Amino acid sequence: MTDQAALILAALGGVANIIDIEPCTTRLRSEVRDPARVDVPALRAAGAHGVMISGHVVQVVVGPSVDTLATDLEELM
Amino acid sequence: MVRHSVLKYVRVRDYLRSLVTHELAVGDAIPSERLLCERFGVSRMTVRQAVDALVVEGLLEREQGRGTFVAPTKMDLEVRLSSFGEEMRRRGMEPSSKVLAAEEVAASPDIADALDLLPGEQVFYLHRVRYADGEPMAIEQSWLPSRLAPGLFDDGAPASVYGELRRRGLEPDWGEDIVAASEVDSQDADLLGLRTGRAVLRMTRRTFAGDTACVYSRSSYRADRYVLWVPLRAPRRALTPTPATEEAPRAAPSLESEHS
Repeated sequence: MTDQAALILAALGGVANIIDIEPCTTRLRSEVRDPARVDVPALRAAGAHGVMISGHVVQVVVGPSVDTLATDLEELM
Repeated sequence: MVRHSVLKYVRVRDYLRSLVTHELAVGDAIPSERLLCERFGVSRMTVRQAVDALVVEGLLEREQGRGTFVAPTKMDLEVRLSSFGEEMRRRGMEPSSKVLAAEEVAASPDIADALDLLPGEQVFYLHRVRYADGEPMAIEQSWLPSRLAPGLFDDGAPASVYGELRRRGLEPDWGEDIVAASEVDSQDADLLGLRTGRAVLRMTRRTFAGDTACVYSRSSYRADRYVLWVPLRAPRRALTPTPATEEAPRAAPSLESEHS
């Protein structure tokens, strides 16, 4: 699981690209500094069921594992 | 800077709304226009405006030459992962369906994307009118990957898609709905017994069993019979990079993150 968190974080452009990540019920909703550094295929490969990018906000559909992921992400950030 | 007549109309409308929800029963007549004019000291036009608003909202029904009555209560449809049939039974109503199409087709790019498939992969497609106690309530198109449910249509269209998934060991346990307001198109209007241009709730749903995307569906629910009920809770605290991490990625977690 920590692996998945690390893969997602890297695909979002790494910690340096993150302004914040808000865990929602089925999605990680992240505000990033540079949306161009977000790697959508890598997010899908990390198990995301969908990625929506709007401006600087990236939403990653991950399902109920969002709670575990959020805990793991917190450690990585 | 609101015009006084607007406020008068709102007072009459809100009085009627409270009367309908707390004192009158379905099918009861509302007080006459004359009574309402006297009670609020307003014109007949103001009263009509208030009644019209509640007719449009679906709280009241007008019957030609008879008067205005309390409309049937709308069903509160919770945004949660249960099927139409399960939701209707929970309300003591008998669900039924009319199957418009039940076939195996190649997934178009949008359907494939929603089901985590590649375009062209085989999917079962089901198009149904859903009824509650014999009354048309919704139109539903659903797609599911063929490999998840081989032989799904061998004995005709199944009564419950979720039921068929469970029989195959796939327990739908999470999903996402997207809900939009829309006017009903002419074909769906006929099937739902609505006039063209009436409102529907369009729901687009992805259903998952664990990591498997198992059903994608698009439904139109009659807005005159449904409201959505959405449980809310405050969002979890957002995660932000700790300053220490930004400078040195391998630094030990700060006190702040340990306490959160």
